[in-house]
Amino acid sequence: MAVPSQGSLSRLITPLIDPAVFDFWVSYLNPAWSWDRPLARVVARQLQAKDTVTLVLKPNRHVGAFQPGQHVNVSAEVNGRRITRSYSPSHVPNGKGRIAITVKKVDGGLFSQHLCHDVQVGDVLELGPAFGEMTLPAQPKGKWLLLAAGSGITPMISMIRALAGVNMPVDLSLIYWARTRAELCFVQELRALAARHPRFKLRLVLTREPERLVDEEQGRLSTEQLQSWVGDLSAHQVYACGPAAFVKTAHELAAPHALRFHAEAFSLPAAPTTPETLPQTVQVELRASGRTLTLPTGQSLLTALEAQGIKPASGCRMGICNTCACHKLAGTTQHLYTGDLDAQPASALRICMSSACSDLTLDL
Amino acid sequence: MSNQSSLSRTLTPDELQRFGAEIDALRARTVADLGERDARYIRRVIKAVRWMEMLGRALLMAGLFPPAWILGTLLLGLSKIVENMEVAHNIIHGQYDWMNDPHINGKTYEWDIVGTSESWRHTHNFRHHTYTNVHGMDDDVGYGLLRLFPEQKWRPFYLFQPLIAVIFAILFEWGIAIQHLRIGRWIAGKTSNAKMREMIRPVGRKIKRQLLKDYVFFPLLAGPFYLSVLTGNLCANVIRNVWTYTIIFCGHFTTNAETFPRSVINNESRAHWYMRQVRGSSNLKGGWLINMMSGNLSFQIEHHLFPDVPARRYAEMAPEVQAICARYGQNYNTGSLPIQFGQVIWRILRHALPSRAARVHAEMVLDR
Repeated sequence: MAVPSQGSLSRLITPLIDPAVFDFWVSYLNPAWSWDRPLARVVARQLQAKDTVTLVLKPNRHVGAFQPGQHVNVSAEVNGRRITRSYSPSHVPNGKGRIAITVKKVDGGLFSQHLCHDVQVGDVLELGPAFGEMTLPAQPKGKWLLLAAGSGITPMISMIRALAGVNMPVDLSLIYWARTRAELCFVQELRALAARHPRFKLRLVLTREPERLVDEEQGRLSTEQLQSWVGDLSAHQVYACGPAAFVKTAHELAAPHALRFHAEAFSLPAAPTTPETLPQTVQVELRASGRTLTLPTGQSLLTALEAQGIKPASGCRMGICNTCACHKLAGTTQHLYTGDLDAQPASALRICMSSACSDLTLDL
Repeated sequence: MSNQSSLSRTLTPDELQRFGAEIDALRARTVADLGERDARYIRRVIKAVRWMEMLGRALLMAGLFPPAWILGTLLLGLSKIVENMEVAHNIIHGQYDWMNDPHINGKTYEWDIVGTSESWRHTHNFRHHTYTNVHGMDDDVGYGLLRLFPEQKWRPFYLFQPLIAVIFAILFEWGIAIQHLRIGRWIAGKTSNAKMREMIRPVGRKIKRQLLKDYVFFPLLAGPFYLSVLTGNLCANVIRNVWTYTIIFCGHFTTNAETFPRSVINNESRAHWYMRQVRGSSNLKGGWLINMMSGNLSFQIEHHLFPDVPARRYAEMAPEVQAICARYGQNYNTGSLPIQFGQVIWRILRHALPSRAARVHAEMVLDR
């Protein structure tokens, strides 16, 4: 796809190419082609469950590989602003390198609503590099227990497919919680896999469904449940994924007893900061210089960094010249002049006019 | 203290604070409304720039046919003007950073001009916008080459400035490229040779890239029409230079544009900075064509109040700014391009000769 990014020809012409100009002209041929950006075109849209859509993506050559169970950052433009959220992709079986992300619409969630409603076949999304520790070992063996709640099923389905692809080398149990039947994802596929692989046990748990089918259970995650459905955890590797509260419970119940415990919780949008909840100090990671500092809140990041002997580029110190702008990868900041809070990653944070409200990661 | 040298009224500290609050409120209203339309606009302008450049360069390849050469040169010049002013200048200010688009980012965008974006961010975004029209702080006051205000010390060298101003216009992009080097300080021995070499290196790389592009790569691509493309590119660059010079000089060097002594920046409040931006800047009347061709620097006053707000918004903010200025008795300096540039030319001619400030700079705010 596009032009090879390695090799002698590329080394010769790279200095002559402005990636923005290259991308502009090739986008007339294919909007997912790019000189250096990992882009993917939406090639199919499937309604997966109630308020849940699966987008099948055809990645360009810059999209990196990922392991089942990992997450990638997906970026798209919503009302002119590029927004980024993490999703767990899965390989589409026999899909010629296509990948799928499954998105559940979150109430008030700008990005999930955009992906569920507005994104159409042919649209282009940008994908970041894969991250996450919840992956399969090279030679999976033993007994495995997967605990998934809601959208927490997405990294699990990716791992289950991978294990099924190598003929289910482990004793695998999946317990999958959803509020109602209509919200269950991948149910047909999961039932088919359970029927085909005797070592794969599937348990569907519905917390708010009045009538249940034969293979459906009810009730929230509890010690009794785990006792009766799984028995002794000490031989199990446990993987848990779901909302933060679910993962916390799973950790409390299973981690002390399990052979090994891995978990991923959805990061929730940061709660609004009030003077009462604002911490006195925060941890600020400076990604480019590989340092993490404890900085006071309530003053500009520029001043706080300078007090630690760090001298970031700066100019006007009043938020107009853009010299001190740096990439904020994570965390919540407050604009010192307007008081506005910003919990989103931002390509240009003016540190002379921003104070930290939470732990931050900056590209400094 | 009354202020005889200014058309603007001296404000009380309380008035100044309210003036600033009104400007802040206008800014907040506009920023809250940024979105899809602004994103679509800047992408459309970038698209127009790229197509004009492509067509211009293509026509120059057929440049033996004179109308093609003329049209190609004009299109390429137009493309460079719009790229420099409406796209690059505004993107480098961070006006579109809220989009989080890596190709429209104020810290990484590199423009089609021999100067680097990096040095521009220092001399323009920081020095000029923070210390606007402050003698000895804002190097844009005469660019270290021209005497435009009586507060600048006269030297016999300035007798040649009517000629120097014309040469400067033709070579304007080169002036921008070397402005941050402050060659005068190096000649005077205030900058070491090593420091100078270090500062020149990135500019040298950028100059090489620009020269290779316009005077080697595209001419060679034209084969036998080498000379036609080369001369077309040269003329397009000069057209851009003269036009940007004209617009930029109209922004701060008109008759009623005020300059300030260094002392104004001591403990300066944001509201006071706003007032200084209004008094030091001048607009151009002329409608959408002038707005587009000047990168909305026809709204120089609004640009200086809101340098990081997308420039396409200045047109809708201007009537409100004008009304606020009227309420607080601040002169809103605007006029047609011929009038404003005429005033600039008069300054260039008048202050080539010795001149004296009519009065010391009067207070802008009453002492409590």
